Amino acid sequence: MIKKCILVVILFLTIILSYGCQASEYPRRSDSSNTLYVGAVAASFPVSFMPWLSREGIAPTIASMLYSTLFSYNEETGMFESSLAKEWYYVDEDGEPITLPNGAVDYVRLETIYSDSSKTYLPVKIILNEGVTWSDGTPFTVEDVFYTLDIGTNNALSNHAGALAWTSDLQHTYRNGSLTKQGIFTYENGATQQGYPIAEDEKDTVMYLHVNKVLGAITTLFTTILMLPKHIWEPIVTVENQLNSRDPSAETLFQYQNPVGTGPYLLVRDQSNAQVITLQRREDYHLRGEGDQMLFQVETIKFMLYQELNVAIYALLKGHIDILDAAVSSNYLSLFESKEDIFLSKAEGTFAQTLVLNVNPVVTERNPIRDVLQNVDFRKALALAVNQEELIERVLNQSGQKMSSGLMREGLIDFYNPLADTLPTDVDDRLVQANQLLDTLYPNKDEQGYRLLDSQRISFQILGSPGEQEVISYLQIQFQKIGIEVKFATKGSSPEKTYLYPSKFDMTIQGVTFSLSNVDIMYMAHFVTLGTSSNYGRLSNTNLSQKINTMRTTLNLNHKYELIMEIQPMIAQLYYKIPLYSSNVISAARTDRYTNYQVVAGSTVFNTDTLQSIQRVS
Amino acid sequence: MQKSYWIKRVLYAVFIFLIVMTLNFFIPRIGVDDPAARYYPPQGNMSEIEYEIIKQATREQYGFDVSTFQQYLNYVSKLTQFDLGTSFRSGSPKVSDLIKERLPWTLVLSVTNLIICLTIGITLGSLAAWKRGRWQDTVLLNASTISTALPAFFIALILSFYLGFELELFPAYTNPNMVSQFDWSFEAIKVVLANAALPIISMAIGGIISYAQGTRNSVIAVTNEDFILTARSKGLSQRSVLYKHTLRNAMLPIVTSIGMSISGLIGGAVIIEQIFNWNGMGTLFLEANSTNDYPLMMGIMLFMSSFAIVANLVTELCYSLLDPRVTVGDKR
Repeated sequence: MIKKCILVVILFLTIILSYGCQASEYPRRSDSSNTLYVGAVAASFPVSFMPWLSREGIAPTIASMLYSTLFSYNEETGMFESSLAKEWYYVDEDGEPITLPNGAVDYVRLETIYSDSSKTYLPVKIILNEGVTWSDGTPFTVEDVFYTLDIGTNNALSNHAGALAWTSDLQHTYRNGSLTKQGIFTYENGATQQGYPIAEDEKDTVMYLHVNKVLGAITTLFTTILMLPKHIWEPIVTVENQLNSRDPSAETLFQYQNPVGTGPYLLVRDQSNAQVITLQRREDYHLRGEGDQMLFQVETIKFMLYQELNVAIYALLKGHIDILDAAVSSNYLSLFESKEDIFLSKAEGTFAQTLVLNVNPVVTERNPIRDVLQNVDFRKALALAVNQEELIERVLNQSGQKMSSGLMREGLIDFYNPLADTLPTDVDDRLVQANQLLDTLYPNKDEQGYRLLDSQRISFQILGSPGEQEVISYLQIQFQKIGIEVKFATKGSSPEKTYLYPSKFDMTIQGVTFSLSNVDIMYMAHFVTLGTSSNYGRLSNTNLSQKINTMRTTLNLNHKYELIMEIQPMIAQLYYKIPLYSSNVISAARTDRYTNYQVVAGSTVFNTDTLQSIQRVS
Repeated sequence: MQKSYWIKRVLYAVFIFLIVMTLNFFIPRIGVDDPAARYYPPQGNMSEIEYEIIKQATREQYGFDVSTFQQYLNYVSKLTQFDLGTSFRSGSPKVSDLIKERLPWTLVLSVTNLIICLTIGITLGSLAAWKRGRWQDTVLLNASTISTALPAFFIALILSFYLGFELELFPAYTNPNMVSQFDWSFEAIKVVLANAALPIISMAIGGIISYAQGTRNSVIAVTNEDFILTARSKGLSQRSVLYKHTLRNAMLPIVTSIGMSISGLIGGAVIIEQIFNWNGMGTLFLEANSTNDYPLMMGIMLFMSSFAIVANLVTELCYSLLDPRVTVGDKR
């Protein structure tokens, strides 16, 4: 009996091995069409596409290719660029645009008109591009925009808290499913009654919004909210069958799985599943490139799922895919550098790693050593001991940039203020200055050379994740040179609750991203708010808070930019978040089928610029 | 006597299930003050009041708007109807549907692996014990040492890179259309076999050696017993002594190992599935974890735990069949 069993198993094994002993066919190798194979590292792909997709994994990338927002935002220039809409203006009380002769917003007049006005909102006029259609051929109109924004504010129908957040600056409110204040106006939805007459021939393309009286109010409305097709969703969305239903009806589920959008690509349903997503270029996409050419150069995009980064890297090296849409660590650089047919993208990072000091712990968490961090000269000495160039060389294999002390990256040339960077660049000078400062404050040292506070060694813990151990080791060596001891302590699985918000830490490592599109939120979160925000060290500085608040509420964009400039040196001189480095975004692509890849700050090589410029190798 | 032992074991398993169910509910909630705040950090220029409205909408959407105890009661009530809840992912699929979809694919790997490990492992182990001190035994002991130092995921990576990517003898990772195009046709089965080969080999290498080592030790222990000497002195053939007397009596520890392997059938291949892009329960769990999909995580954990509890129960019941002294011991 046992012998028979063994024989059966051996036979079974032989079958597995004989059938297994045949390599997969990797379709890219023999594909002569204009199809780009993109490897993505994720747990799985979505198979259902609720229009306002989750923020996880590849879902936002797919969403941005199937659907569109009103405008896109150019981080480098701070300008809105055309997408579904082509123009927008703030308008005065007569509905006339508040613009300069060159068409730009006249911020001085805007401030004059609305700063002291009894009006609690800013009216915004939007003009859509003509000839835009949904992927099923239906024309896209302002009624789709009205429907999208209206349902976004009406949680009873949308059941989507994200949409509530995105539309929070729109003065269009629902209470218990009933409209209590209207802030969106179209030809068919009360524009004339509100005093915004719209001509018959403009009824599909012109609309007005009432937004909060802050300049940042339009950013999310314009660049985050993906527009929904009214003709698809209005007939099926009800209070019982919400847009983001927890128990979707068969028809709703069908619509999730067969998305209709205004984006440059559409989903090829029968060639997509949880491990591969196929997108086909829309030949009738309304935005065109130079000479009326197609804006996006790739006809078909196949996203291939890899659950393990190493496997995805080998798949790229062996020609199973064209691009790897994942940032890889600088440790992998040597793997790519020696290879032919590989384009290596080392894009400038937009994310800065900082050392955060707990400068203002809650009363119960104070102790004499932590009190030392309240002294700005002490903090300056720590900042002086950090040498970003050395850190980048040792920890990032030279794959990174220095970050300004004002925490605005130098690449944003119009908004970076060099006055924030006043510390000397010479390494030895810095250490001398740091020691001079500390000699004044804490001249006594113990046998190992560490400084003493009332005969107790000044020693701190730096909370970090295992991946940050190398950085913290570097800081240990540097701070030892100025007589300050630091030790690594693990952050744990829920640091916000256990350490950071309750103030139970000395120092920690934290990432920061400041850009023009997020300063309104991020400056508040990192330097002003004392609750559950990113201001873990509970910095409380009246001058900085006032400046940030003025920056957020001014109606003069030029003044806002001036204030952003002024805020940077203030941040730098507080030495509260000490910049460590900004690591490059490293990614790779093959050049044997496609060339002309684009390197974009903060992005992998798979980015919109690449898709618009890429060229198929004949 | 055996009946009361069985009832006691079943009650004990139910008790363990209740504890697991409760822990499964509370552990994901440890360290999370307000799940709503995690989902939607404050955006734009929203006021505290507006933000509170948004958080409340999130709480209502996901059932966090009632007390934790009430949430627990709702959870238990749903479980009594075999409802594991609804996933957070787009389209709100039922957790039980997702498990049903992925479970067979994990079982393809793990059951095949178990069968291979058992048959080859026990055979090799018996052989090594029978040839104790000779080259067969030495090879097994050395292989065991090496296998202990090489975890399955490492073997999987090596096999994937050399046999898959470099030599292209096997598919380096699963064909993305394997699951969606599976239709029980011969061609589809061939595709599954081709794609399952490397994952199974990766898992089986360690498993075979582990079973062989366990069997060897167990058989050697029994070989030294008096009744084996008696059997031999009666003039029974070597084969008869090995199969009828030694192996049978050496089975109890092996059954324990089998029980443990069965408990780990569903969750034991997480990393292997990840390396080979195998769309099974392991990757489903990683997916739930990476997207903070609590209902899915809780559903998978509960399913895996329940499976392990049942597997352990069956193993214990098998003990009593194999060796009646087990129930006597329990009574004592």
